[in-house]
Amino acid sequence: MMHIVVCVKAVPGSTEVRMDPVTHTIIRDGGAAVVNPFDATALEVALRIKDARANMGRPTRVSTLSMGIPATESLLRDCIARGADDALLLSDRAFAGADTLATSYALSCGMHALCDGTAPDLVLCGKMAVDGDTAQIGPELAGLLDMACATDVRSVEVPSPGGVVVRRATDQGIERVELPLPAVLTIAKDAVQPRMPSIAGVFAARDAEVRVLGAHGVGADSARIGLAGSPTQVVRSFVPEREAAGEDVLGDVAAQAARVRELMGGACA
Amino acid sequence: MGVTQVQIEACGSEHEDYLHDESRSTGFAESISFPQSEDEVRAILRELHERRIPVTVQGARTGLAAGAVPHGGHVLNLSRMNRVLGLAHDDAGTFSVRVQPGVVLSELRKYLSAKRFPLNGWDESSKAAAQALAEAPEQMFPTDPTESTACLGGMAACNASGARSYRYGPMRPHVQALRMVLADGDVLALRRGAVSACGRKLALTTEGGRRIVADLPTYTMPHAKNASGYYIEDDMDAIDLVIGSDGTLGVITELELALMPAPAVIWAASCFFTDEQAALDATVSVRAGLSHVAALEYFDPAALDILRRAKASGTAFASLPDLPAEHDGALCCLYVELHCADEDQAMADLGLLAEILGKTGGDAQRAWVARTAVDREALTFFRHAVPESVNMLIDERRRTDASITKLGSDMSVPNERLHDVVALYRATLAKEGLQAAAWGHIGDNHLHVNVLPRSHDEFLRGKRLFERWAHEVTAMGGAVSAEHGVGKLKRDFLAIMYGDEHLREMARVKGAFDPYGQLGRGNLFPEELLAATEEASTGAGPDAAADFAAGTSGAAGFERPGCEGVSA
Repeated sequence: MMHIVVCVKAVPGSTEVRMDPVTHTIIRDGGAAVVNPFDATALEVALRIKDARANMGRPTRVSTLSMGIPATESLLRDCIARGADDALLLSDRAFAGADTLATSYALSCGMHALCDGTAPDLVLCGKMAVDGDTAQIGPELAGLLDMACATDVRSVEVPSPGGVVVRRATDQGIERVELPLPAVLTIAKDAVQPRMPSIAGVFAARDAEVRVLGAHGVGADSARIGLAGSPTQVVRSFVPEREAAGEDVLGDVAAQAARVRELMGGACA
Repeated sequence: MGVTQVQIEACGSEHEDYLHDESRSTGFAESISFPQSEDEVRAILRELHERRIPVTVQGARTGLAAGAVPHGGHVLNLSRMNRVLGLAHDDAGTFSVRVQPGVVLSELRKYLSAKRFPLNGWDESSKAAAQALAEAPEQMFPTDPTESTACLGGMAACNASGARSYRYGPMRPHVQALRMVLADGDVLALRRGAVSACGRKLALTTEGGRRIVADLPTYTMPHAKNASGYYIEDDMDAIDLVIGSDGTLGVITELELALMPAPAVIWAASCFFTDEQAALDATVSVRAGLSHVAALEYFDPAALDILRRAKASGTAFASLPDLPAEHDGALCCLYVELHCADEDQAMADLGLLAEILGKTGGDAQRAWVARTAVDREALTFFRHAVPESVNMLIDERRRTDASITKLGSDMSVPNERLHDVVALYRATLAKEGLQAAAWGHIGDNHLHVNVLPRSHDEFLRGKRLFERWAHEVTAMGGAVSAEHGVGKLKRDFLAIMYGDEHLREMARVKGAFDPYGQLGRGNLFPEELLAATEEASTGAGPDAAADFAAGTSGAAGFERPGCEGVSA
């Protein structure tokens, strides 16, 4: 059976990101978190491969993997509702404050746990996350897992045991790439339209088990995870704040004109 | 207090946009104004009243019945009366918002979801209510017409509805109070619960001290979703007469709207069916079996087909969700939106829905369930893309024949006649050989059947078919306009629904408010009827309407306890 693992990140649902003033990392309280839209597309690519292979009589297992706070479990359950077979959440305070290197290391440990010590055939990530915008996790995972890698993938042909053919966007145009398996692909957001769960899928997800493992559970080296394992030092980060409020210029036309003139420093002759 | 300057401009080529609305019909006007306050509206109307100039009231011009399309005279455009005036918070914890009529629904929604209002000019009590709202669970205004750029004044004037009216009703029950400037510039302030009719007699006093006394029409409204003509009931609240009056009684200058807490959980399911009868059967079962349905909508095979083609054409609709193929069992679609207190409630209703699908030929494996904001937006896009794509199709056909326009029905029937009315639509469309797409509010037995004419001949035959439907829907106990209002386009249908005598009764009510028939000229009433009513209400003849308008009605027999206010 072919095994595809899709890495999924919880990102803030709104554009108003709150930063921790001390650690300079994004505050993730799970309040309005959503699946990173790029990862949702990656999941859809995996599910389409699964559907296509099923039509050929070939079974495929699609797993989802995430590192995050316990509330991320509901997002993984939603992935199961959409058609994923199972999910693993890495959740442990020891993972907190991770940069992309520490995150990809933790995910690689999770990958081994998901596959009982072996490696999956295909790892799909979103091209990037909409909060961090680094686009580093996929290539770092490929390095850690010693897999071939293609980034910014627009389309994926149905993989065979021998390999997978993808098309990726480059500055020069669309590049066709043949990769041996196992491989890591990072998927562009507009590659396909993500599906919605079915009613049957929602009920299946309610009863499904989402495994949650900590750093010990996946055998992670404590020096390589969380803040301790993150060579990236964020010196300062901030959300620009609007300092001046607008003013409604009210009153009759003469009063409004006078106020506008005043606001312009009396400059209009 | 200074004299308010009246800014009445002659209509020029730069005002062309103000001669039409979303109904895509075009009118004409001599002058236009854009008041920003009630005082300005009063000054403008006073000036126009002296010269008896007809006035068409406009908001965002999103109406579909041409209510805002001028038939000569003056265009009173209220789009600049777009301030939120204040907020109130009563002892029961209910919030209400006071708005000028030009505030656009999407703006109100934006303020409510951000829990932040522009506070300029607000009194201390409103500011305190704004603070309370910021700390309270999210509030919503439930009326949800498809077009969220509609303005609230227009929505009140036509008693707008939309998908969620299935649960929350139309605009009417959410309007707590309003202010309205009459044709002569006088003001009427109405608050729900303050003034009621006595039986079918209504007496009101304006802020200027004028007494308006009117005999309300004698008809009984249908037991179906209805926005056809004046709302009339025994002992009715006076405010309900104004809501849905299509700009014929006065100019709404302020609205107080009740808000309600937004549901904690909103889930929506799009369920696909292999045939229309199965979808109708499922509708009946959903109505009977599910407790938290907020919207129950339908898309017929032609509507889905138009969507598939719009998506394939790679236009703005390319990002629509991938529809299952027709040959794959997705001929038509039922959309069920659930508003629940928690996920357990939603799961229970979803389980019942799965059972209904199993019994009626739907497929729980294929239904789409939107539980996240992203998925909900995708389904909203899907629903709203249907009328948009149909408009594009008609625009394309108009390039070869400019006489073609979309013909969209807005009729409703009582619950027990759902299957009958759909059978009527199907049989008559097939007999006429007309292309059509139907979608809309099936939960209220209210489908928008859109005839898509390919020629002028088909356009005329489509119009005749609508007239036939108006007769048959009336016979089924339904309404000729369920949510768009009557405006100018459905005026003939109103006469079919209520008959000439009831139409005259309605015109006499208008005469009591607007004796010279200045306001909303062409809406609801044919010209000749208005002219006759005008003569009666302003002439010297011994007509009751003249007495009512002058406040000298001696009509006896309704001075019973609780009805004191009615006797003049």
